[in-house]
Amino acid sequence: MAAVIPLLETESLGKRFGGLAAVNGVSLRVAEGEIRAVIGPNGAGKTTLVGMICGRLEPTSGRVRYGGRDITALRPWERLRQGIVYTFQVTSVFRGLSCYENVALPAQRRLMRGLAGRLALRESAIAERVQAALEAVGIADLAAQRADALAYGHQRLLELAMALATEPRILILDEPTQGLAEGEIERLCGLVRDIARRATVLLIEHNMPVVLALAGRVTVMDSGEIIAEGSPAEIERDPAVQRAYLGR
Amino acid sequence: MSARAPLKVLALHAAVLALLFAAQFALPPYHHTNVARIMVLAAYAIGYNVLLGYTGLMSLGHAMFFAAGMYGAGLPVYYLGVGAAGALGAGLAAGVVLAALFGLLALRTTGVAFLIVSLMFAQAFYLASLYFNEVTLGDQGFILSQRLAPLQAGGATLGFHEPAVKYNGALLLFAACLLVSLALRASPIGRVLIGIRENEERTRLLGYDSFRYKLLSLTISGGLAAAAGAMYALLFSYVGSTFASILFSIYPLLWTLLGGVGTTLGPLLGTGLMFYLVDLASGVTSAYLLAVGVALVLLVLWFPLGILGTVRARWLPWLP
Repeated sequence: MAAVIPLLETESLGKRFGGLAAVNGVSLRVAEGEIRAVIGPNGAGKTTLVGMICGRLEPTSGRVRYGGRDITALRPWERLRQGIVYTFQVTSVFRGLSCYENVALPAQRRLMRGLAGRLALRESAIAERVQAALEAVGIADLAAQRADALAYGHQRLLELAMALATEPRILILDEPTQGLAEGEIERLCGLVRDIARRATVLLIEHNMPVVLALAGRVTVMDSGEIIAEGSPAEIERDPAVQRAYLGR
Repeated sequence: MSARAPLKVLALHAAVLALLFAAQFALPPYHHTNVARIMVLAAYAIGYNVLLGYTGLMSLGHAMFFAAGMYGAGLPVYYLGVGAAGALGAGLAAGVVLAALFGLLALRTTGVAFLIVSLMFAQAFYLASLYFNEVTLGDQGFILSQRLAPLQAGGATLGFHEPAVKYNGALLLFAACLLVSLALRASPIGRVLIGIRENEERTRLLGYDSFRYKLLSLTISGGLAAAAGAMYALLFSYVGSTFASILFSIYPLLWTLLGGVGTTLGPLLGTGLMFYLVDLASGVTSAYLLAVGVALVLLVLWFPLGILGTVRARWLPWLP
């Protein structure tokens, strides 16, 4: 295990906003193929951490490595092209566009290689990918609907379809179950397991039953630092975690 | 819109062009010239709409691209006796280069800041065209008709003063700009531009370098505006600084808003209606610009989608 290069690795990653250290010296290693959960109380720095991984935020210190290569300086669109895909905590679909168009934008990304690829791109090839992504999350029948007309749960699924259409190698899900009903959460869990067969999943989640059901390993953050890491069972037992997070 | 450009979209645009072609045989001379002018100005508005309607960037400086095309075409004719084709090419090139350079600097900003920066650049361009009066003949303007060689087509000689040449030259330009705009809208690149318009950060996180796409859009937009400026100079024979003034930056905004921002045919409709509104108003009062101002206020407050935008929202969702 130690000899294997992790798919994703952060090295003493830090982010300061003025005087506040939102993330402080975080070293995280995620192996290819695992479902890794990151948990922690509000303000623990989880979203800031993954923001630096996907390139939304620039770190103030430390490095990010991906497949052994240093990607700290890569811009967000370059990271996406290498397979690092982020889904938003608050759904960030294109509200004024149809579901089809929402998914077509990420779907055509992989097909747009070079100038020839851009000009000769066939809409049918894009449509196929859109259909597949919408089917995977189960909203193919809503393709023509405008995104802002969708129920909240469906918007989250659309967000997920957009991520799938980019063919992620590592998918970062930022609180995907937030605001979902019980049945929708179950469905989402099935979906995440399905995605994990093809991609590594980094899951930020508040809902402990979901974390325990999905994650192979759990990383616990508090006040911008990692305070524990282990299997779900170990994390449940860890006294430091219970104090900081589980409130027992 | 799952197919690239559905048949009915192509049919609609072909029908509009056919109607414009046929109209030249029916229109009385006064309106014949007006429609020719409207088509050239609509081509300008189409260029503006690429940036505002399909990319979400509002500029108040497009007059500099229109005027760059105008001077780029007019000065070589005036000083070097260049022919019509060369002049058009030079005008287009001047606009494209100016738009690309402007974009490299100005696209660091967005929203209101971009609006202001574009206004400032355009004012600088306008004042420069007056300052270098000895070369540009800016304040007086200059006439091309004595210097521009007529077109030779087969055995026929086609002078630019002939109404048929004006009309069909304008139609050709308009058709070309309309097709560029339609093709862009229906292409994967157009989809990225619309993504930027709707939510730029999201688009970046879906793998697109938004700066490059905005620069491309601005360059196309400036190029179309310059092509219109160049054609305007050739067909209507006049080049002058007034076309670089702020009013000519406001016009395409107004035409686009009226016809429908982000619709391919909106610029034509808006330009035509506004042209005749100003025409009517100037027959009644010398304060015809008041009509322009009032129209702008009414549009922004109560009619933000414009005519074709409203038609699309209510009845024809397939309208591009």
